[in-house]
Amino acid sequence: MSSSRITSFQGSRNFRLLIVLATLSGKPIKIEKIRSDDLNPGLRDHEVSFLRLMEAVTNGSSIEISYTGTTIIYKPGIITGGSYTHNCPPSKPVGYYVEPMLYLAPFSKNKFSIIFRGVTASHNDAGVEAIKWGLLPVMEKFGVRECALHTLKRGSPPLGGGEVHLVVDSLIAQPVTMHALDTPQIASIRGVAYSTRVSPSMVNRMIEGARNVLRGLSCEVDITADVWRGENSGKSPGWGITLVAESKKGWRYFAENIGGAGDVPEDIGTQVAYELLEEISESAVVGRTQLPLAIVYMVIGKEDIGRLRITKSQVDERFIWLLRHIKKMFGTEVFLKPVDEPESDDIIVTIKGIGFTNTNKKTA
Amino acid sequence: LQGSKIRPRKWDIGKLIYMENIEPFDCIKRWKGELEDENEESGEQSEEEDFFKQADKPENKNTEAEDDLEKFKPHFETFKKLAAKWSSFDSLKGRFAGRPNLEQ
Repeated sequence: MSSSRITSFQGSRNFRLLIVLATLSGKPIKIEKIRSDDLNPGLRDHEVSFLRLMEAVTNGSSIEISYTGTTIIYKPGIITGGSYTHNCPPSKPVGYYVEPMLYLAPFSKNKFSIIFRGVTASHNDAGVEAIKWGLLPVMEKFGVRECALHTLKRGSPPLGGGEVHLVVDSLIAQPVTMHALDTPQIASIRGVAYSTRVSPSMVNRMIEGARNVLRGLSCEVDITADVWRGENSGKSPGWGITLVAESKKGWRYFAENIGGAGDVPEDIGTQVAYELLEEISESAVVGRTQLPLAIVYMVIGKEDIGRLRITKSQVDERFIWLLRHIKKMFGTEVFLKPVDEPESDDIIVTIKGIGFTNTNKKTA
Repeated sequence: LQGSKIRPRKWDIGKLIYMENIEPFDCIKRWKGELEDENEESGEQSEEEDFFKQADKPENKNTEAEDDLEKFKPHFETFKKLAAKWSSFDSLKGRFAGRPNLEQ
């Protein structure tokens, strides 16, 4: 009877995003055909673990998973937050779970204070520094000032043993309306190279590789060595580097990677430095990894027009999927308009907020 | 009729994004004008073909496709291409606010 109100999706694409959007919009969703053609069909353990986490930080949500795990019906409750410890299965690092929390935490009833245990780095998911220096600053721009991610222990793959603490103390009614029409100027490049359970020389070699590339730039480059030893360095050896370009006004671009078997530290350092340059050249105000968070915050903003400058190359397949999914959940369309500058083919993304208010703040 | 065939079509990305019957991959191609002519003129037919193609192949080639936000790290060129591209910083000149480079 009420099934017509359920918005349905197919496939495993943007899984976490869909759950997050459903929670923010308060609308139930159904996702079908999750890896139905795969040899190992249905939800993966990290996705189930993520749903558990969603259950823990909300009140009144219901999750039904079909027998084969290829269909799920999610009816969102209200975001309650609170203190919780989440043990992440080793297939995905903690960043996989922290990232979607950033979309929800500021609009919660209670402050978020969640400890995530597990692997803290991987090749494809958000690393600890990427969140701390790349995503939290975006939230700050939207008015979420008090949020922090503390690294208590590092845990390299495959065994992990790391621990991070996400604290979001700002509870706001809705994000601030964004007007970012100019590409910010980069003032400095910072970075951190870390290692767990390997010789500290690896860290210095990565820094050396990155510095070699960035030397010619006309800005300050400061990369910190962060060597972890003993109990707090997890169960596996590992190393990695994150580089962040900062503007004076607080916008950031970043690139990160970790070493795998057989990798040479200098090469990883060099590669991440190149990737940072590439990311800067592909980005206007926010980097590609920050864009979805910024767009979603703009959509759930006040009933006012927000504007964000992006580059032509940021309009890619991920961006289109993101906008289609947003339209399906919120009914909001995004307008793209070329900038009024002759030598630039950047685009201004214009979004009218849906006038979302944190339900827990209504009485205030 | 023939005239309309020859005329190169200019696509508005703002509209393409919300045309659900066109795969995002094709949206980007059409927008950038990279699509083959034959596909463009027989719009409906090609969509039908696409539809069957989509149904045939599994939804993603691998579990961490480039167009999926489930994968955090964006796409980068190979190390060699990046190294060649960034042997000079000329294209980023306007982006840094630091002290002016004295060599120029």
